[in-house]
Amino acid sequence: MGATRGEHNKILDGPQFTGLSSVVAAAHELKSPLVLIRQLSLMLEDSDLEIIEKKRILQQISLTSEQALRLTSDLTRSARLSDALFDLEPINPQQLCEDIINELKPVFEARNHDVRLLSRKNPLLLIANRDLLRRIIINFSDNALHYSDSDNTIEIQIALHNSGNTVRLGVRDYGPTLPGDIMKSIKGRFFDKSMSINTRPQSSGLGLYIASQFADVMNGSIGVIRHRDGSTFYIDLQASRQLSLI
Amino acid sequence: MSSFTVLVVEDDVWLSEQYARILKKSNYNVLFASNALTAIQIIDDNKLDVIILDVLLTGSTAFALLHELQSYGDIGEIPIIMCTNLSSDLSIENLSPYGVKCIIDKTTMKPSDILVEIKNILL
Repeated sequence: MGATRGEHNKILDGPQFTGLSSVVAAAHELKSPLVLIRQLSLMLEDSDLEIIEKKRILQQISLTSEQALRLTSDLTRSARLSDALFDLEPINPQQLCEDIINELKPVFEARNHDVRLLSRKNPLLLIANRDLLRRIIINFSDNALHYSDSDNTIEIQIALHNSGNTVRLGVRDYGPTLPGDIMKSIKGRFFDKSMSINTRPQSSGLGLYIASQFADVMNGSIGVIRHRDGSTFYIDLQASRQLSLI
Repeated sequence: MSSFTVLVVEDDVWLSEQYARILKKSNYNVLFASNALTAIQIIDDNKLDVIILDVLLTGSTAFALLHELQSYGDIGEIPIIMCTNLSSDLSIENLSPYGVKCIIDKTTMKPSDILVEIKNILL
């Protein structure tokens, strides 16, 4: 399904986090990985486990810890945004996304997901801070890994918008495909209308809030497109005119 | 093989896998759903003995699923074990009319707690 056919929302009215609420949200977000790590660790005490199973559990503990640590690192960076200067520079998004895919390859493989990069034929540059943009795309990718069905491909998409003035980097996940009529009929029963469309239902929205803060620093914006079979979370950034640098 | 079939409704794939390790070791048949819609399909297509249900799911919460199950008559009688990070916010008194037999706190549970509760329900 093409991105423009989905239900499209700019993330402007998501939850705001200040002081205590950010602490509560961080605690909420960290609870799930800690619960998983604890359960897996307790399981390792079972002496009947085969070596291959123990190795799998250890890998899951390690990758889940890394995911939790990324969140803590993003939180720290987010808290210090106002005190720091972030250089904006022309960046090749294709190279950046390829680096991210290599970095996340172990976790993609461990979760039985394939990942592919959908980029343009003609190279382009955008204006961003490399570290912040990397954190945003990794955040979207972690999100997609958690919420899409196993064995589905996750796509990282690079596209030009706004007559070539904006570069959009999106992460598309795939869930169960629902026929349109069924989607319509169940929506009222299964989806809480009061729930912000900008966040995942079980998420505090803290990850997206941090991503939107990082995007603000780069004069960009983030948004989401809801599809019949998943979502695309994206960031729009200013295109660079320095194509000759590539 | 046990004749008992357990549906695990949990959106964290690795936590589902962890529950399955425990359950399969005790010879339960295990089915998985990561969201309420898939759960409904599986419940429609299979004879289940117990449902292990997380509260916060992708697309909807467990409460929407509980309401849906109640409207189905016979399958609304499948015993449910809620397994959640939010146990302090839930009361068994409020949930027992929906077939919830017990609430397990994920933050303090031991891997074997699920087996203990299933045995309490089935035996």
